[in-house]
Amino acid sequence: MWVAVIALVAVGAGVAGTSTYFALNPAAQPTPAHSIGITDDLGRNVTVPIDPARIAVLSPSIMDEVYRLGLRTHVVGVDCYAAAFGGLTTDYSSDQIALWNLTPSMCVQVAPTLSPEMLVNLTPSLVLASTIDPLGPIEKITTQLGVPLVVLQPATLSGILVDDSLLGEIFGVQSTASALNAELAAELYHATNLTVTESFPYVLVTYSDDSNGYWTFGPSTFGESLIELAGATSIAANATMQWPELSPAQILYANPSVIVYGYGFGLNESSYAGGPDWSQFGAVQAGNVSGIDSNWITEPDPTMILDGLPTLIADFHPGTV
Amino acid sequence: MAPPRAPRSLARRLAGPAGIGLLAVAGLLLLALSSLLGNQAVPVGVGFRILLHELSGGALFSDPCAGTGVSPAHCSALTFIVWQLYLPEVLLALVVGAALGLSGGALQGVFRNPLADPFLLGISSGGTLGAAILYVYRIGVGQADLYLPLFAFLGAIATGLLILGVARGRHSSVETLLLTGVAIANLLGAVLALVLLYNPVGGEQVTFWLLGNLGLASWTVDGIAVGVVLMLGTVLVLFGRDLNLLQLGADVAQSSGVNANRVRLHVILLASMITAIAVAFTGVIGFVGLVSPHVVRRIVGSDYRVVLPGSAIVGALFLLGARDVNYLAFPSSVLPIGIFTAFFGVPFFLFLLYRQRRLAPMEGR
Repeated sequence: MWVAVIALVAVGAGVAGTSTYFALNPAAQPTPAHSIGITDDLGRNVTVPIDPARIAVLSPSIMDEVYRLGLRTHVVGVDCYAAAFGGLTTDYSSDQIALWNLTPSMCVQVAPTLSPEMLVNLTPSLVLASTIDPLGPIEKITTQLGVPLVVLQPATLSGILVDDSLLGEIFGVQSTASALNAELAAELYHATNLTVTESFPYVLVTYSDDSNGYWTFGPSTFGESLIELAGATSIAANATMQWPELSPAQILYANPSVIVYGYGFGLNESSYAGGPDWSQFGAVQAGNVSGIDSNWITEPDPTMILDGLPTLIADFHPGTV
Repeated sequence: MAPPRAPRSLARRLAGPAGIGLLAVAGLLLLALSSLLGNQAVPVGVGFRILLHELSGGALFSDPCAGTGVSPAHCSALTFIVWQLYLPEVLLALVVGAALGLSGGALQGVFRNPLADPFLLGISSGGTLGAAILYVYRIGVGQADLYLPLFAFLGAIATGLLILGVARGRHSSVETLLLTGVAIANLLGAVLALVLLYNPVGGEQVTFWLLGNLGLASWTVDGIAVGVVLMLGTVLVLFGRDLNLLQLGADVAQSSGVNANRVRLHVILLASMITAIAVAFTGVIGFVGLVSPHVVRRIVGSDYRVVLPGSAIVGALFLLGARDVNYLAFPSSVLPIGIFTAFFGVPFFLFLLYRQRRLAPMEGR
């Protein structure tokens, strides 16, 4: 019996050791013939084929950029939730699905867990993902397939322009990217000049609520940057968390003069009105409440600047627009 | 001293190598069919040809899709799906199920408690914290199949050692060890909540990791898991005789030449390391380690020399079955496997529990 035991232990050690060696020394991938080297938003150096024909876009914000650069025909797959949880409709609004002509066959499940076979089946030549995606499994499968993965996750509003330029370089549409960036820069400049002379109102921009209170944007978030650029100060500007939930008591104490709520994905004014103590807030009683498409304030993409920013300016400074 | 006898006629019929062998054959059959199950449809005929082509090193079916109407590009994708995705996932389910079943069986034996499971000592909380740190701080994005199991394994094993250290190892009683595990698990749970509260990025991934999944499967990952579980599992199974004696009480075991404290420590260490490996590769998958030994005891009796390998086989089949039910019930979705082990395991466990109480109120104590 001891021989068998020793043999089993030895086989186990051999298999584990060999596998660990291969895990630590993966086979090198061949470089595509027509390719360029780029650095993505995570600082990863990636070699990508020039003008890849089939791309999987695993984030709505990247899809917005790709669409605005005229690259929709390259897109063969987009991110989605498990079909049991709503598929495309969980990540994309009905407007986005219609505008971008997204179909269930393009669905690559990234949540609750990645479905690698959905990605494999689309035979993409490039995968674009953001850090909200399960990057580990995606990186693993793209490495196995020898398909480059580019991670786009701007850290600031100006980072959106940088990503546009990067996509323009990859797809050879630099002039389209430059034109889009000029439009974005003009909107940012316009916003700065519009609001620079206005007094900064104290505001609450909430994107969701529950029985405990209202979720909003804290420091170092796109939402907070957008609010500031639109000429207002968030009542959560000094919060210790990036996406804090404010209780009704905190909101009553801060007494924001304007409340903006995010709608879409099942949320609308009546769902917020059903939230705790909504009717007690001064802004609600004064009628200074308005809605905004949630995607415009949560997804870091050109639409955030071209649609979200002007809408917030109009909400915060009704007389200036 | 003779081991406790099997209590039922079914047990007598299936006890010993024949029963184990039957379960192993069922496992192989399930393995072949499971390798074609996933949320991307693979035609059965093409799937089997791909399997045979790859298993024979290309000698059989040089073009597995010839004459099937599947284009070469799609055939290449299907081959990748079956050979690089489905089969490694099936094997990982088998290995991790075996690890959890074996670990659960050993811990139920050492604690003489039928409610013991591989996560009893709280080492999963350490593994979860390790994984959460990786997800939240985005460490090793490009080397996920190395860093994730490494962080989870280190978290789990550090927690196990901490619990043993705090409980002062073999000089502590079983109760002290268990309570120390519960206390440290709660502490680590609070740390995890704090980390996620201040860094919600990655929170969703941690939540789903907590429910267990097989997404990390690959031939390399399977190789490491198989190797380590085979090594440690083989040694753990050798403690079957000592566990039989422990069931009669520490004094009886001692008088038979078994150092009860040392056996307990060794079994707990081995079971914890095996569990840590399972947690490292698949997250926290509940119920497999709890239910499998109960099933085996009903079939082959309570001889731990058989219960331990039997629990490994039943655990493997159980987890593979849960994976397959996932794909059969939700063909176009991949959901965390822990959901299905719970859906599967809880009713079955309750059935066993109440049937056992009705038939033999003292059994299993």
